[in-house]
Amino acid sequence: MSIAAPPEVFAALADPTRWRVLDLLATRGEGTATTLAADLPVSRVAVVKHLGVLDRAGLVAGRRVGREVRYAVRPERLDETADWMRQLASAWDARLAALKALAEEAED
Amino acid sequence: MEDQIARDVVIAAPVERVWDLVTTAEHLGTWFGDDGADVDLRPGGALVLRWKEHSTVHGRVETVEPYSRFSFHWLTGGCDTPTADEPADGTSTLVEFTLAPEGDGTRLTVVESGFSTLALSPAAREERFASHTGGWAFELGELADHGARVAA
Repeated sequence: MSIAAPPEVFAALADPTRWRVLDLLATRGEGTATTLAADLPVSRVAVVKHLGVLDRAGLVAGRRVGREVRYAVRPERLDETADWMRQLASAWDARLAALKALAEEAED
Repeated sequence: MEDQIARDVVIAAPVERVWDLVTTAEHLGTWFGDDGADVDLRPGGALVLRWKEHSTVHGRVETVEPYSRFSFHWLTGGCDTPTADEPADGTSTLVEFTLAPEGDGTRLTVVESGFSTLALSPAAREERFASHTGGWAFELGELADHGARVAA
C-alpha cells in the first residue's frame, strides 16, 4: 500500500448533495455556485460550502473569471481513490487465497 | 465502487474448519498477519494482528456467531499507517466475515466497510447518521473518466 488513504475524499463524497455537485460538474465540465444552485434543491450559499469541502479534498478546482469562480472536477483525486480501493481489494484477494490454500491442505 | 469492499471465495473445506482458520489466533497470524495474532473471541474482545514488515494492528471484535459470522473493527488507516491505538467507531473500518455451506465446501465472504466515516469528526458523524444521508454507491472511476473526458 503506497498510496495514502484518502479518508477526506470519502468524507467529502459521503454527502449526497456534494455528490450531485460533483456529478453536475463532471457532466458539464464547469460550473459556478450560481449555475449549480439552479439545478439543486439547496441555496447558492450551501453550494459554496459544498464546493469548499470538495476543493479542500482535492476533488474540484476553481478559477476566477471576472466576478465569478468557475469550478471543474479534478479527476486525479478520484482516480487515486479508485486505485486505493482496488489495492485494498487485491490485498483481500491475496489473504483469501492464502486462507483457501491453508483450509484445503490435508486436514491434520 | 462503493464505500466498501466485498470479496468472496469458495473453499473446499467444511465451515467448521474455515471458522477455525478465520477466528483463531494461531491461524489468523499466518494467513492474515504473518507474525502472529491475538484474539479474544467475544464481542468487545481485543484483536491484534502482527506483520513482520508493517508492525502491529489493533482491532476490536464486534460479532461472533459461530460458523456463520465474525466481524471486527480495525485501524487500517489504509493499511499503510497502522497505529497502536484502540479503534473507535468512525476512526476504523469494519471487517465482516460471513460463512455459508456451499456443496461440500464453504463460501466465505469478506466485506470491509466504513471508509467514508474515517475522516469525520464525532459531531459530523452524529449529524450524518441522524439525517440518514449515508449509503452512497457509485463508480468513482467512471466519474473520474467522465470528468477527464469533459475536461479534455
